[in-house]
Parts: sequence; C-alpha cells; structure tokens
Amino acid sequence: MTHDTSFPKHRSFDKHRSLPDEVRLENAMAGFVAEFGPAAQTWMNACVRCGLCAEACHFHLATGDAKYIPIHKIKPFEDAYSLTHGPFSWLNGLLGRKPKLTIEELGEWEELIYDSCNMCGRCTLACPMGIDIAELVKEARRGMYAAGLLPDRLARIVGNAEKQHSPFGTPEDFRRTIRKIEKEYGVSLPLDREKADVLMTLTPEELENRHLGVAGMARVLHHLGLDWTLCSDAFEATNFGYLSGNMELQGELTVRLIDKARQIGARMLIVPECGHAWGATRWEAAKWYGEPVNDIEVRHIVEVLADAVEEGRLKCRPVGESVTFHDPCQQIRRGGLEEKPRILMRALGMELREMDPHGTEGFCCGGGGGVLANDRAAPLRLKAFEIKKRAVEATGADRFVTSCNICEMTLERDITATGFEKPIESLIDLIGTHMITDQPPLKAPGRRTARKPAERKPAGRKASARKKG
Amino acid sequence: MRIVLFAVLLGLFPGGVTGLLQAQENTAIISAEPGPPNTLGTRSDTEIWHDLRLGAGGLVNPSTGSPEGGVLINSEGWEWSKLRNPETSPVIRYGSWGLLGVLGALVLFFLVRGRIDHGADTGRRILRFRLDQRVIHWSVACVFVLMGLTGLAILFGRPFILPLIGKEAHSVLLTASMQAHNLFGPVFALFLLALFVKFLRGNFPAWVDVKWLLKGGGFFGGHAPAGRYNLGEKAWFWTAVLAGGALSVTGFIMLFPDYLATRDTIHLSELVHAIAALVMIGFSLGHIYLGTIGTRGTLGGMVDGHVDEAWAQAHHDQWLAEELGRSDSETAADPIPDAEVQEA
Amino acid sequence: MSLIEILEGPLWKASATIFVVFAAFRLMMILFTGRRHARARPAGSPAAGALRAILGHFLPWRALLKNGKAWFVILAGYAFHVGLFVLLLFAAPHVEFIREKIVGLPWEPIPRWGFIVAAQFSFAGLIALWVRRFVDPVVRLISRPDDHIAAGLTFAVMLSGCMALGEQSTFLRGLHLGLVELWLVYFPFSSLMHTFTWPFSRGFTGAMAGRRGTRA
Repeated sequence: MTHDTSFPKHRSFDKHRSLPDEVRLENAMAGFVAEFGPAAQTWMNACVRCGLCAEACHFHLATGDAKYIPIHKIKPFEDAYSLTHGPFSWLNGLLGRKPKLTIEELGEWEELIYDSCNMCGRCTLACPMGIDIAELVKEARRGMYAAGLLPDRLARIVGNAEKQHSPFGTPEDFRRTIRKIEKEYGVSLPLDREKADVLMTLTPEELENRHLGVAGMARVLHHLGLDWTLCSDAFEATNFGYLSGNMELQGELTVRLIDKARQIGARMLIVPECGHAWGATRWEAAKWYGEPVNDIEVRHIVEVLADAVEEGRLKCRPVGESVTFHDPCQQIRRGGLEEKPRILMRALGMELREMDPHGTEGFCCGGGGGVLANDRAAPLRLKAFEIKKRAVEATGADRFVTSCNICEMTLERDITATGFEKPIESLIDLIGTHMITDQPPLKAPGRRTARKPAERKPAGRKASARKKG
Repeated sequence: MRIVLFAVLLGLFPGGVTGLLQAQENTAIISAEPGPPNTLGTRSDTEIWHDLRLGAGGLVNPSTGSPEGGVLINSEGWEWSKLRNPETSPVIRYGSWGLLGVLGALVLFFLVRGRIDHGADTGRRILRFRLDQRVIHWSVACVFVLMGLTGLAILFGRPFILPLIGKEAHSVLLTASMQAHNLFGPVFALFLLALFVKFLRGNFPAWVDVKWLLKGGGFFGGHAPAGRYNLGEKAWFWTAVLAGGALSVTGFIMLFPDYLATRDTIHLSELVHAIAALVMIGFSLGHIYLGTIGTRGTLGGMVDGHVDEAWAQAHHDQWLAEELGRSDSETAADPIPDAEVQEA
Repeated sequence: MSLIEILEGPLWKASATIFVVFAAFRLMMILFTGRRHARARPAGSPAAGALRAILGHFLPWRALLKNGKAWFVILAGYAFHVGLFVLLLFAAPHVEFIREKIVGLPWEPIPRWGFIVAAQFSFAGLIALWVRRFVDPVVRLISRPDDHIAAGLTFAVMLSGCMALGEQSTFLRGLHLGLVELWLVYFPFSSLMHTFTWPFSRGFTGAMAGRRGTRA
C-alpha cells in the first residue's frame, strides 16, 4: 500500500517569492487551516489570553521579550482563522471582507514561527486550557511555507532533501559513507539487503560527523542479534518537510520509510536518536495512509535498547559517575519515552541527578524544530541555553548526557560558544562503549572526528572508548 | 492593623462609650417608687424627660441583650441627625468647599507652573514599579474611583444631585450607589492591605525628605533631592493607608452593625468615614494630577513599569543612583535576569 | 408594553435564543467540521489521557509552582470564576428568575452573606485580572479587543447586578437584565465561548498525549 492519494494537494511553495502578494497571502491562510480538524478548531476557540504560556517558553524567559509569548507566534493566522472559520465568517463572505494582513506583516512573523519556536510543547502543558500551541505553530509553518516565508537556510536544506533524497546527500553519497565507516571502525554495516527484519535509519548529523556513533549503534544491533539492514534509498530519518511546513515533502519522506520497510518485509523500523523524526514517523505516519501503521513497528533506538536491558539481553560495565540527563522534547514530553533513557542510565550504573525541571517539564535545548538549521537564530538560541546551563550546573553531576542528535548538536555548539565546562555526550554512545559483548571491538579510527569541544577528562574517557569500544 | 486602628479611634473619640456607661448608671434613677396621690411618682415630668434625654432606661425590656436595650432616647442621635442634615451639616459644607478648594488649587497650579518637565529624555528606561505593584495599584485605583463616586453620591446626593435630577432618579442613584459601595468595600480593604504590603518599602521617613521639603519639593522650580519616594509621595502613601484603614474599619462597622457596634459607634463611624473619605479623595486629586498631566513621564512608570533615566534623575536622584549601582553588579553576576526583575 | 416588560419578555426570549442556538451551532461547527486524520497505533490510552488532562489542568502545572505570575493568574482566576458561578446559580434573585423563566424547580439560594462573599471574590479577581491586561506588557501584547469587551461586559453585568441588589428599583433591574441580554448575544461570537470549549481543548491535547504514552 502506498500513501493516501486522496490527501489534498497543497498549493505549491513559492520558491522564488515571485507570486503576487495577494496570492501568497491567500496561500498562507489556506495553508494554515488546511489540516484543521476539531482539535485545532477547539484550541483556536479556547484561548482567554491569560499569558501563562509565556512562563513556559524558554525564549521568552531567556529574553524577557514579550513578542516571544507562544500564543503571539500564531497571531496573524489567528486573525485569518477568525475571518475564514470564525463566528462571522459566513458574513465576511457576503461582505467580501479580506484579511487586513499584508505579506510584510506576515514576514515579520517568520522569525517568531521559525527562529523562536522549537515546537517543544512546554507551553501546551502550562496552558490552563490545554491548548497545544506547539501543534498550532506547526500548522502556522504550513501557511508560512506556502507563502514562501521561511528562513533561507532552512529553505536550502528543504531543497536538498527534495532534490537529493536527504540533506546529507544522494544514495550514492550514503553508500560511500557507510563503506567508509565500516573501514574506519572495522564493523559490518548491512546495506541494501533485500529482506530483513529491521530497517535502520540514520540522521545527516550521524553520517557527517558521528561515525563512531553509527559504528557503536551497529555493534549494539549486532549484539542484540537483530536481522537488520540500512537502505540507500530510505536512510534518512529526519523530516525537513515536518520542520519546514512542507506537507508534501513530509508525506513523501515518511511514506518512503514505511513503504521501504514493507518492501523488505521488515517488522520493525528503527528511528535513530533524532527527536522530530520520532514524532513524524511514529506519531504522524498514520495520517499518510489513512489508517494506523500496524504491520511495521516504529521504534526509537532508545526504546529498543531500554527494552533489551529490561529483558536482560543487554548488559553494561558500570560507568559509576553521576550524570544528568537532558530530556529531548520530542522523545519525552511529546513522545512518551520518559522512562527509557533512565533505564539505560541505570544499566550504565550511573547515579542520575535530575535537573530542575526535568522529564516532561524539562526545558528544550533550543535547537529542535528546525531552529538549529536556521543559523540566524543562533544568538537567540544561546540566550535560551543559559536556562539549561544553570539547570545542569545546579545538579553538580559529573556528566551531561542526552539521547537526541539535534539536542546534542545544539548543546555542543552552545557549550563551545559559551565556554561551559561540561561536554554533552550521547547516551547511545555510552551504551555502545560500555556494552558487555562478544562482538569484536571497534577499531580505533585513524582520523578522529572532532566533536567534543571541551573534554573535562579527555584522557580517561576517550581511552576507554578506544580500548573497549 | 485594623484592630489597632479601631482601638485608637475609640480612644480618640470616647464620647459614645462614656455616654453609654452613663446611660447604664442612670437606669436606676427611674424607679417604681409610689409618690403622692394622683401622681405617677415622686419626680416631675421635666425631671423624667431630662433623665431620659441623658439616656436613662425605662420600662423597656432590657433582656434583649443589646447594650442599648434599656435606653429610651439616644441623645447622640440628635448630634448625628444634625450631621446628616444637608442644611446644617458641617461635614457636607466644609467637605464640598474643601474638595472644590483642592480642585481650584490644582487648576491654579497648572496655570502658573504648567506641566513639570525633566528636560530631554535619555532613552534609557529603568524599572520603577514591578508588575505586582502595578496590578495592585490600579486595582486599588479602580475600586477607589468606584467607592469614591458612589460614596460622594451618598454624601452629597441630597444637597447637590437631588435638585438636579429629581427625587425618583435620585433614589435610584442612591440605592445603586449604596449597594455597590457596600459590595466593593471589602474588596477595597483587601486591595488596600495588599497595596500597603507591596509599597511599604521605601516609604519610611528619611533625612532627604527634609531637604526635599526645604526645596519646596521642586514644585516651584529647582531640583529637590529624593530617594525612591519623595516626601509628598510618602505623605500620600501614609494618608492612603491610614485614611483607607480608617475607612475600612468604620466601613466594616457599618456593614455589620449588629455584630460590631452600638448605635453610638455607628454614628462615630459615619463621621470618621466621611472625614477620612474626604481627606483621601482630596489627596487623591493631587496624586492623580501629578501622576498624569502634572509631570511628564510619570504615568509610564505605573503603566509599563519603566521611567526614563532623566525623569528619575530629576525626581528621584538618590533612587536612580542606587538602582544603577545595583543593576551593574547584578548584570555582572547574572546575565539572565529572572522573569521577576526584567519582565518587560 | 413598558420597557421592563419588553426586557423581561421578548428581549429576554430573543437573547436567550440567540445564546442557545448560536453557542450550540458554534460548538457543532468546531467539533464536527474540518479534517480528521488517522491516528497512530496508541502506546497508551487516549481516553485516560483526555480525562487526565481535563482534570489535571484545573491545577497549576507543577513546573510553574514557584512562579508568582502563575499563582496570581490561578488564584485570581479561581476567585473570579467560582464567585461568578455562585452568584449566577445561587443568588436569591437569580434562583427566583431561573424558577420563573427557565426551569420550574427552584433550588436553595445562598444566604445574603454568602452572596456578599462570592461577590467580593468575583470582583476582586476580575478587576485584578483585567487591570493586568493593561499593565503587563506580555498580556497587553496578546490581548484582543474581544478580551476587553468580554471582561468589560461581564464586569458591567456584575456591577449592575450588585447595584440592583436593593430590589427597590425597576430601572436597576432593567439595566441589569438589559446588560445580561447584551452579554448573552455577545457570548457565542467571542472568547466567552471558552466556557464550553475548555473541556474539549484539554481533552484533545490529553488524548494526543495519552495515545503517545506521555501526559499533558
């Protein structure tokens, strides 16, 4: 089965911003409400402007700037909504009333919708009405995308994803990189097998900079005895359609993965450390098929490992240090995986010192939802990092760990920029290097990929990674 | 605090209480002792009426439990009715003159002095009132205006409004005013208490107040030094707190007369209530004038919380110096101020 | 027909009808139009998640327990709403009115002191919250004209109701009733609709969270 073709075609993205302003504006408004159902409509009609969402948003808290109030971020669309779906919409049609908004005004919201929102959903939990503002921002991005209003860099990445299969590159680039990693670390990476139980996917970041992580993950999958493969025509887990508001691309990317899994007869599709990939694949795939994807189990790598630990199939040498965990919003608050990484940290014998707040209440890294890819947002992101930094410092933990690529990249860049002394580490890497296994050890790579800017205890940890990893 | 104030008020105006005690002593005077034939006792009518007039008890049933159960004529009521009568009441007469006088003085001051200006703005804004202070200020202000308008209608309605709108409309206005006044009273007391707590800091007397006073508060030109609040603002704060406190206490007495008061205390409460209200309203006119059209740049401090540094230098130089010194050290230690401090 | 008779008769019926018909119509439009998407295989119970969110959002979010602004909104919000409902449903004149105009069966009104206490809470909460709309830059930025009109109309209704408490004046009774009718007509087309949308709003979000095995 392929994806639901009855799904409405969206007006095309105004790539060159060449359409008349009126048409762009109309596309924006139509794009915003295109996917509206009872939930979104209820949310639009429940807000009483109490302002509590402001108290949840890291961008507002870090800057004190009123414009970063979550509900304010969708204001132009709210106006349009009340015009087209509001109580007097029937009257507006008769009177021929049009949105008062101009394309310039809408353009001013580009920053609010793309730079200052990670769709982390913290505001959703703070809202007394339970309005899912994160979801509404996602709808707003559809409108912005339709009007050609999205940050240039994000637009470029989306373009790459459309043209070359993945922002990372073409299937050929992928095959080359996989072979390279195999050679570098002496690990076998099954590629393009015709039949396999498990389809493994990766992120561009892993393919570009985190080869050790890929090798480690492969070693864990081998250890678990899974019958798995990577596929050069369905390797990309991240979904820039989801992040940018390009609905068609979002559908294509998701369907490509699920269809591929079905094609090779897989029963499981593993999503790597990426957060939004989890949301797009696990929770939104059903949308493109018109029914739940029941034949393929979409699982997050953290989930797979935690279950293996619980079933006793995966054991680790104790790390023994204290650790604090950054909760990736899409996995924890909006993904339901809160316990899984904690199981892994226990398996590593680490003393977990929770941040205040943590779990579903934890602050976002500030980079998810396409913000990291949008480099002009970096100064704002750095301000938001201060909140995280203080929370990490307050725990006094030895190590700082997370389970999402994007969070890790974001925090890594913020750590470099601010000179914070605690490096961010990947939980999956820690499992990879501390797993007790018969698998052959990874080769020490000839050329290291620099990814940790400031190692507090470089010698000990790196050595152990090389020796045992 | 209200209880203390209540006690002070009772101490200051002991007339009602002593009158009551006297009345109880006098109860014994009228006895059922038989007099000469064809008379009703040993005392003349004049004497009896005299005693009654002083509050003596009679054959009324004292077992009602009320402290006034045995009093036939409450002589304090005479004084009270004079106070209530628009023709004779000094409160109404002096009160209306006083308020008109304040208004006139403000108009005169505006004509002579014009709008007080601190010169060119620096463009640097400094937080003067936190969000909680602004919310409580305007909450008190709203309820104060409502209480003031309804209260003035109750006090001045008969002499001034009734002739204008006629008896029927006036009665509607008064019943509406009274109901609203009664209902909003406790809200006012509650908000005032919050205002007291939130604004107390900075409102204690200081040496600089004397210097401010010697410079005429800067009202007639020149620079008058001041801390967070100048002497005028401190005077307004304490007037509002004390007069407002008196209004609240006496207001509660009048709201719950059966539980809290005798008739005399109610009379006294009414008098105190009216005087405190006139004082507070009079002072508020000056406050409103200075906060809005009187000085440029003041209102913003209470709306979005921030004032220009030039304004602060002109009106509250010592406070500005403290704030700038403090914020320097704060920003050095803590690059992200918490939401409470930076809020705007 | 005198003004008060019009207010108590045809105008009351008309405004009550507009309120009922349009509020129901709006709610139907919100709940039964638009696209419905297939949902993912659940990891937890959507129904339990919805229930949890509907009840849970009555309490402040745990992460905001140390936040003064949040406490202010919550306490003032509750003071206003609870006070308002007590006044609306249990004030003696309202009980009488409801018995006469809407349902036949009267219920026990609250005593006068209860009315006064409820009115205090309600007014204090509404005034403080409304004032905040002007002086908090955050809330001022997001406040729509609708928010001010809704607050203003509600305040006017409450104030006129309190002024009519003496029950001595037909004019005041008429004023209150007229404002109530205006409020009823405004209601279905404004943010006052949150009166009916809140459980659904919380419920949809909660169901999403429940399905995903997390909480909202």
